[in-house]
Amino acid sequence: MRKRELLRLVWQNITQNKFKTVMTSIGIIVGAATIVMVIAIGKGGQMDVADQFKNLNAGAIDISCEGAGKESSSSGRGGFGGFGGGMPGGGFSDGNSSSENSGSGGRMPNGGEMPEGGKMPDMSQMPEGGEMPDMSQMPEGEEMPDMPQMPEGGEMPDMSQVPENGKNSADGESTEGATGKNDSAREASESRENDNSGNRGDRGNRNGNFAMTESTEQEIITLTDEDLTNILAGDVGASEGTISYSTRSSIEGGELEEATTYTIAGVQSNYAQISNLTMAVGEFLTEEANNNKEKSCVLGANIAAEIFGSAIDAYGSILYIDQRIYVVDGVLESMGSVSSGISPDDAVFIPYQTGIKYLVGENADPTITIIADDVEHLDTVITATTELLAEYYPNTEFTYEDAGSKMEAASASNEILTMLLIAMAVIVFIVGGIGIMNVMFVSVKERTNEIGILKAIGCSQKNILLEFLLEAGAISFIGGVLGMLLSLGITPLVRYFDVRVELSLAAFGAALAFAVCTGVIFGFYPAYRASKLVPVEALSAE
Amino acid sequence: MGIIELSNINKYYYMGENALHVLKDVSLTVEKGDYLAILGPSGSGKSTLMNIIGCMDVSDGGEYYLDGESVHNAKEEELTRIRNEKIGFIFQKYHLIPTYNVLQNIVMPLLMRGLTLKEAHEHSMEIIHMLGLSDRIEHKPSELSGGQQQRVAIARALVGEPAILLADEPTGALDKNSGIEVLKLFQRLNDMGNTIVMITHDLGVAEHAKRIVKIVDGELTIQEK
Ligand SMILES: Nc1ncnc2c1ncn2[C@@H]1O[C@H](COP(=O)(O)OP(=O)(O)OP(=O)(O)O)[C@@H](O)[C@H]1O
Ligand SMILES: [Mg+2]
Repeated sequence: MRKRELLRLVWQNITQNKFKTVMTSIGIIVGAATIVMVIAIGKGGQMDVADQFKNLNAGAIDISCEGAGKESSSSGRGGFGGFGGGMPGGGFSDGNSSSENSGSGGRMPNGGEMPEGGKMPDMSQMPEGGEMPDMSQMPEGEEMPDMPQMPEGGEMPDMSQVPENGKNSADGESTEGATGKNDSAREASESRENDNSGNRGDRGNRNGNFAMTESTEQEIITLTDEDLTNILAGDVGASEGTISYSTRSSIEGGELEEATTYTIAGVQSNYAQISNLTMAVGEFLTEEANNNKEKSCVLGANIAAEIFGSAIDAYGSILYIDQRIYVVDGVLESMGSVSSGISPDDAVFIPYQTGIKYLVGENADPTITIIADDVEHLDTVITATTELLAEYYPNTEFTYEDAGSKMEAASASNEILTMLLIAMAVIVFIVGGIGIMNVMFVSVKERTNEIGILKAIGCSQKNILLEFLLEAGAISFIGGVLGMLLSLGITPLVRYFDVRVELSLAAFGAALAFAVCTGVIFGFYPAYRASKLVPVEALSAE
Repeated sequence: MGIIELSNINKYYYMGENALHVLKDVSLTVEKGDYLAILGPSGSGKSTLMNIIGCMDVSDGGEYYLDGESVHNAKEEELTRIRNEKIGFIFQKYHLIPTYNVLQNIVMPLLMRGLTLKEAHEHSMEIIHMLGLSDRIEHKPSELSGGQQQRVAIARALVGEPAILLADEPTGALDKNSGIEVLKLFQRLNDMGNTIVMITHDLGVAEHAKRIVKIVDGELTIQEK
């Protein structure tokens, strides 16, 4: 039989009974579309996770002094710059007691922080940044009737006495801290940081306890760039670092109709590099701008769009921060959501010194971010830094947070996600495959009689198989392609529900290949079986 | 040597433990240009015999030569070729391909031989005309009457100019007039030199043939005329 005539017949079989072709294809269409979507959604999820950590520097360690900048009305806890750009721990947030903020909550006068809100009923209602004046002066030994539910360590009032009577033993760390000796306090602090429990709420509580127990001795300092220089010079295992802080301030200008409050970050010139920020236009704040306290700024992508419409429009424009005029030196590339805290997309960056001079003054609560040379040994860097800082500030407690542990958790969850995705894909392939298989099997089985006729009039087995193979292949291919179109159609719908969909050629290829293979195999098999029968048997098949 | 030489053909159907002996040592010779009717009651094994003659089924022992070629030990490819070139088979139930139109059904055996659709069409024009199907070639089998479908099946059987024409109850599903039409056609085809073997359970139909053999319970008995 001529190939052309064979193809003509195949074409006719496919096109003549359109309804049947469509019905047969539906299983394949749905199967292929499902495969594409599952892969795309899985990939989207993976990329989401990857994106959140893309500007996170693995070796970054954030050092901050809890409670510094306590007078600042705008910045509750200015631990900006967390993780070299990850900005965790509510670096930008306004110091309310969001559960993400380690140890946030009402601020105590001596820098002590209360455990996270809620457990201490009357305190949780304290206004943000509000002060509880008399804590430190509380008469020793006197019960504080309003705080019977104080977590960890039990009775508040006794805490100040702990150094003397050592009664408080509910929490080992707390007891240790409560001896009031900075050394042991520091040890406790280290172990706290090193165990990386990741339980922020818990940490917050412990921080709170610490602060309370040491409230009489803790000295609050404001970290400066001099401290950064000292750390970097101090051979702690970090040769790179930056210092930054965040605050909130009103901005006017551009398309803004009224003054609006935005997050302002005071950073050094190397901040962009340490935080893996990339510029869309212009350049990042220079060393010179910092030294000269120039009033220039770099805008996050969202801010630029909000205030000026676009990055290009923003570039070179001016705006007013706290009623002072600033020039926009550059706009950042959109960085997307970050692992925690607020994204750089929503921040205005100004030179560190400029902000100190005009915005925060004495109330800055800067965070020093150092980049460990050896990502594997962040704990030794933390220990060394702790010792070094203790020489300068023997009575001050510093908080250390490292990005590595977070990233570990992230990559672990990423692995789980990948496994989940593979499992899902396997299931979809099996389910889709069974669908295609059934449809193909039944539709070819139905034609056993036709195969009998073809055999009876002398059609060779080879030609019969070729015809059915081509038909199954064509229907599967059409189904596969329609399935892809279907997935393209569904994509906006899925995206509408805020699910990230990453369509990929690989997914299309896999779906098409799978649809065609399954269709051909399960279309071929019954045809093969029928073509093996003697004509009478095929003809008498129902 | 006849165009069909059957000797000691046996056929069994196996139903679990029991073997049903349907054809019992059947021997038959059909000469070229013969017009033979095989007459027998229902269930006597007529169709079974016809299927073996038409290479649609295989026997369990015995020898069969068709137009000089041995069929009983032929391979599948040879059987395919024999079916295509030597045999024109008209089924009791027509067995047309429902998705193809009349023309396509008729030219199928020619396409198998490697002719193009155009060549096959030209080649089959005469037969289509002879069977009065010229104005029906675009129709699907489902759009035709039983008699018309039977004529399409006959055209398909004839188009390849086979050595023998085999018809299993060609009039069985037709009304009287259509049946007479078909028998007239067979007569004409035989007059033109075609060898015809026809099955029937109706003596009236069998009498149109040159020769009648009877089959009862799988045994060929009397050879008449
Ligand atoms: N596929 C089969 N499996 C088992 N037994 C069969 C099969 N085909 C036919 N038979 C049996 O073989 C015998 C002969 O059947 P066959 O079809 O040859 O009869 P027939 O003479 O053509 O009858 P009819 O005139 O009714 O068509 C019957 O008894 C039938 O039951
Ligand atoms: Mg019969």
